[in-house]
Amino acid sequence: MGDSRSRPGMRLPVGLVLVALVVGACAGAGASSPPVESAPPSAAGATAPTTPSPSEVPPDQVTGELTVLDWAGYDDPLYWQDFKDAYPNANVGFEFGGSDGDIYGKMKAGDQADVFHPYTGWIQFYVDEGIAQEIDTSKLKNWDKVPEDFKKVGQFNGKQYCVPFDWGFTSVLYNTEKVTTPIDSWAALMDPAYRGHISMWDDGPGAVTVSSYIHGYDETNISPEQLATIKQEWIDQAKLNKAYWVGEPDLVSMFQSGDATVAYSWQGAYATLLGAGVPVAYADPKEGRNSWVGVYCIRKDTENLDLALKFIDEKLGEKTGNNLVSNFYYGHANQDVMNGITDETLRKAFSIDDPTILQKTNFTPNLTADQRDAWTAMWNEVKASQ
Amino acid sequence: MAASEAVARKPPRGRRPSDGVVGARRGTFWALLLPVVAFLAVFLVLPLVMMAALSTRADLRGPLLEPWAPTLKHYVSLAETPSYLRLLLTSAGIAVLVAALTTLLAYPLAYFLALRAGSRAALLLILLLVPFWTSYLLRVMAWKLMLGEEGVINSILMGTGLVDQPLSALLYNRFSVTVTLVYVWIPFAALPIMAALQRVDPAVLDAASDLYASPRQQFRHVTLPLSMPGVIGAFFLVFIPTVGEYVTPLMVGGTSGTMYGNVIQDFFTKAANWPFGSMLSVVMLVATIAVAILALRAVDIRRFVEP
Amino acid sequence: MTATGVVRHRPLRRTSRWLWAYYWLLLALLFLPIGLLALFAVNANTTLSFPLRGLTLDWFGRVLSTPALLRSAGNSLAVAAGSSIVATLLGTGVAILFVRFRFPGRWLLLGLSVLPLIVPFVVLAGALLVLFRAFDVDRSLLTVGIAHVMIGLPFVVLIMLARLVGFEPQVEEAAMDLGATYPTALRLVVLPAIAPAMVAAGLTAFTVSFDEFALALFLVGREPTFPVYLFGQLRFTTTLPVMIAMAVVLMAATLGLLLFAERVRRIR
Repeated sequence: MGDSRSRPGMRLPVGLVLVALVVGACAGAGASSPPVESAPPSAAGATAPTTPSPSEVPPDQVTGELTVLDWAGYDDPLYWQDFKDAYPNANVGFEFGGSDGDIYGKMKAGDQADVFHPYTGWIQFYVDEGIAQEIDTSKLKNWDKVPEDFKKVGQFNGKQYCVPFDWGFTSVLYNTEKVTTPIDSWAALMDPAYRGHISMWDDGPGAVTVSSYIHGYDETNISPEQLATIKQEWIDQAKLNKAYWVGEPDLVSMFQSGDATVAYSWQGAYATLLGAGVPVAYADPKEGRNSWVGVYCIRKDTENLDLALKFIDEKLGEKTGNNLVSNFYYGHANQDVMNGITDETLRKAFSIDDPTILQKTNFTPNLTADQRDAWTAMWNEVKASQ
Repeated sequence: MAASEAVARKPPRGRRPSDGVVGARRGTFWALLLPVVAFLAVFLVLPLVMMAALSTRADLRGPLLEPWAPTLKHYVSLAETPSYLRLLLTSAGIAVLVAALTTLLAYPLAYFLALRAGSRAALLLILLLVPFWTSYLLRVMAWKLMLGEEGVINSILMGTGLVDQPLSALLYNRFSVTVTLVYVWIPFAALPIMAALQRVDPAVLDAASDLYASPRQQFRHVTLPLSMPGVIGAFFLVFIPTVGEYVTPLMVGGTSGTMYGNVIQDFFTKAANWPFGSMLSVVMLVATIAVAILALRAVDIRRFVEP
Repeated sequence: MTATGVVRHRPLRRTSRWLWAYYWLLLALLFLPIGLLALFAVNANTTLSFPLRGLTLDWFGRVLSTPALLRSAGNSLAVAAGSSIVATLLGTGVAILFVRFRFPGRWLLLGLSVLPLIVPFVVLAGALLVLFRAFDVDRSLLTVGIAHVMIGLPFVVLIMLARLVGFEPQVEEAAMDLGATYPTALRLVVLPAIAPAMVAAGLTAFTVSFDEFALALFLVGREPTFPVYLFGQLRFTTTLPVMIAMAVVLMAATLGLLLFAERVRRIR
């Protein structure tokens, strides 16, 4: 490979690495401040905890650094548009979590984010462990636009700990060309008629939920015997299941490639597939659809309480809501936004024109820590038993 | 340093290459050793010890760093759940298969790059690695597009009439996990083999051919033995991480292709049950280390490594 | 007589041709999915599926107008470059120590250096997370970099070990006989000979770091690396083509850089 004196071939890769280092350093360092247009980099650390009430400080003079632990994608200014417009001189930085368990683990390990974004089924853990603090809803100007049912999602012991933001349905999605009789029950996910073409969401509590709908169990009170039945049921179902999906793009591509024709699904995938011309229908099972809600909570000892409250308040704003609905196909907690949807595909996906759907919908209940541990362990055993 | 001092400091008996730490090389020794040891101690050993300790925590409730009463309940629970242990065995089996296939398929590549590619070798090697600078997730998504039931390959097979039903066995099973892993590891496995082949001394090969050794004999008696440290290195390079692999099974394994690593990952990120996940990891670690040590003893690694 | 010289085989045309073909076949297989991705990056589909719907460069435009995405790519570059350099230095040190010195704990050092391969990334990540929190160190690209040095180290060690084993010390000793200090002997004799392997090792560490996300997911602070960013985006179907466009851009940039550097090399 050349003699020891000159190795021209090796300068090439060495040069590459050095260039990469320089480029990366420039790109990383130069753009390390968050994407706020005219904001001077304000000093780290917040305004004093005892801030004068928000109305006393004019909005464009509100400064500070807020850190939000969120799911990737939500850092796009589209999804906090109202806050950005109202307080142009405040900085928002984002940390990312990949799943509810991930976010919970990070907050437990002491993450210093001011605001975080869990979903139903996990919210109460933050309350129980003293990670989330009570929110004074009188400071939220958008609060009365949120329907009562959604407000309750973030309430514990009569106190409001978290504020709802995004929501959606879960139901059975199926390909109408390959499944000729309309599906009307969650039991379709376990039907041998669809062997090899079923796709279930990779989630233990989700599986328990489906089973309790099918058998009529009380989701909040599953006995060990019931759990054992559920476990065996899903072990059997695994033989009919093609693959578990983790994120909606997995699900969408499985439907498009023909690998799946029946699946547990959120309405985002439904809307996407309709838009892509795949003939799918979103079932209205006799046991009722499931609904989930995402909320924003404030960390207990945050020094940026005022800014955090503003952030959450503006999350309920109309511009933010419209962006969420039209880009992610997720519902927004602001009722005005939902009523203002005009797109036909979306109106179908959210069943806006059928108010009875919401009444038949089962919201994901709160779990106890024991249930969370037992149900996720059950699911892992199902997966390990293949 | 005067030549006479250097001579005086040489070990008195023979010229064994790594005789002790005395003399001129002591400074270098510590300069090389200390940073590595410090780094490993703080960022590897300490976290691992913490993890092992965490496996004795009953659950994740309460403040994380508060002292807790150790319990072996997770280990007991593992003994009572045969499916996890079975999965570990299966995963290890897949890992052995993948490592063997990869090493076999990577050898010609390494041979080519080290001994035939000449001055272009660096460029060709980098070309091989360039695809890995694209997101693995996206690449696998593209492969799934090819292998799905209505994907490109099945469309071609059905279109030409070679099969009447689409092949559903191309994707979402253990076979696809194995194939994908081999495909991904080949360039990396080639590297230690390549590095070892760079030691091949042309003079020895010339001597061999002067003694009427055919190219095949040259390979078998000179090149192959010299490259063995690289082959062994490649095998373990692939085997060890594959036991705990989780991304590939997640993406192409489907329901039946789950591996042990998926379960660990899920206990950490989905279940937020770090103690149980730590316990599973400790078991896997101990088992893998034990197997590796036994295997290296069997192969008599010292034979290759000691001069 | 040294073990560091050029290898001059009698050219064996037939096997050489098969070997070239093997290489190109493998390369083609590796680049096949990339080609597909490039196809979808200019395709108006929002999902990865056929049939294709018209060409568009919109996705690339969106890449340029998403600063967070660009930043994450830059972060990945910086972390990969930094961690691979450190890993190469430390790992080469370990290999030299193992091959040239006898000391108690020699095998233990080797085992520890290779240990990160066995530890599931998620475990290492969780442990490091708690460690950093216990010492009140905030998560950041630096914490990711440290973790990436850790996982790059085994690759470097295994490659350098394969290179150094059997590397006869006679020339170093001759140099020392002639008055060189050991560090000088290392620098003038060993280093040039093992430099190609060091570069290969460094590139491997770079590659391992660049696309790594299990560790990064846990250890990034406000600045994500590209795989972390991408993994999060996979939740949403609508942003997938933009991600693909970014990946294609990275690929094209790397290839472009490579070919450019090769041209520069040729000119010299």
